[in-house]
Amino acid sequence: MAQSKELYDAILNGDAKKAYAATQAALEAGADPMQLIAESMVPAMEEVGNLFECEEYFVPELLLAGRAMKSAMELIKPLLAASGQKMAVRVIIGTVKGDLHDIGKNIVASMLEGSGFEVIDLGSDVAPEVFVAAVKERNPQVVCLSALLTVTMPAMKTTIEALNTAGVRTQVKVLIGGAPVTSQYAKEIGADGYSENASGAVSLVKNLLTLGAA
Amino acid sequence: MRFKVIFCQVFTREMESVISRSPHSIEVENVPMGLHDLGMEMHSHLQERIDKADADGYDAILLGYALCGRGTEGLRAGKTQLVLPRVHDCIGLLMGGHNTYQSYFEDHPGVYYRSPGWIEYQTAGRRLEPAFASQRNLLGERRTEEELVAQYGEENGKFLFEQFNAYRRHYSGLTYISTGVETNDASRNKAQAEATKEGWVFDEVMGTLSLLERLVNGEWDVASFLVVPPGATIRATLGDGIVDAV
Repeated sequence: MAQSKELYDAILNGDAKKAYAATQAALEAGADPMQLIAESMVPAMEEVGNLFECEEYFVPELLLAGRAMKSAMELIKPLLAASGQKMAVRVIIGTVKGDLHDIGKNIVASMLEGSGFEVIDLGSDVAPEVFVAAVKERNPQVVCLSALLTVTMPAMKTTIEALNTAGVRTQVKVLIGGAPVTSQYAKEIGADGYSENASGAVSLVKNLLTLGAA
Repeated sequence: MRFKVIFCQVFTREMESVISRSPHSIEVENVPMGLHDLGMEMHSHLQERIDKADADGYDAILLGYALCGRGTEGLRAGKTQLVLPRVHDCIGLLMGGHNTYQSYFEDHPGVYYRSPGWIEYQTAGRRLEPAFASQRNLLGERRTEEELVAQYGEENGKFLFEQFNAYRRHYSGLTYISTGVETNDASRNKAQAEATKEGWVFDEVMGTLSLLERLVNGEWDVASFLVVPPGATIRATLGDGIVDAV
């Protein structure tokens, strides 16, 4: 009985306390942490994404759902670490050098985490060399770059160039996003993909990795 | 020549100053601040105004805007040519061009900018209602803590307010761009007070009206202005020229 309706509802309603309590109850009742993620958290975050797509949910609801999901993860993460279990996909995310606007990046990070990916958030104003070092040390499959300003968008290009120069570009998929970013720009700078919003980013990561494995 | 200038409210005093000295006949349309928050949607609000002015036979329609987060991308000239300064945003425009802004930006990461117009039209004590209906449901970011608490409850409301304002903690400085139109020290003092309150380093740079002046004087050199011929559309290139016409 890994599926916890209480946890699913708490995430959907953005209730962090209930999400924590539901997770605790489920774990005490013997639920498998990995199954809780797969059968309660991931479906809940998927539904949050759907509601956002059809404009029933807006940015505040995404943030609240992400927070509820994180409170559940607080209990689950140590258990996964202790049992040596790992998430299948590791994602590194950050806003590019010069850009301090991180609301969008935070939402994408929590949607990705809520979709069962391991997310390493490098924060905001992240220099190309920091992305490169993180890729070398943490071996992610995906790197997500965010920018809100057209002034800082060129830093996405320099980050990709830095990954190239360091010889690690081919081991990761690079995704870009942010209000002024377009799919055209992604093509121009040699990124692997672009998403207009956070739920699109989740599908994009899934699609890219499936295609990459094929 | 007869020009129509459609411009952002943030430049009100600067625009009035340069228009008063322009040799040309200029009709003005002052558009409320905040369009840039709408992202791509900004475009439709401006296109509507451009199309309306197009019927009036001006020699040019001047845009007192920038690329504005791609908000001006896709704007189309009808029968009348459009003119747009080649800058990313109002900061670049008031600093006199992209290169000046870029070098300041690189030397001063994490800086918030204020100009007399920003202070006058967007201070907390004089918060304008969103000018456009679509802006209201779009932005949680603009809501006060009380509004968020009323809608989402005490705990979640406070969390959201914190999230929407957390970016301010990443900043380390506030730069006031003086444009010479100030009649007293009120704007500078308010900017300085904001910096002190947030614990940010205060800096002041002398801006310039040069781009606005050349815009309304019809001195559109290729390096600083994009002239969009009739029927063409503005495109963001993000390279040195920032925009071109296609």
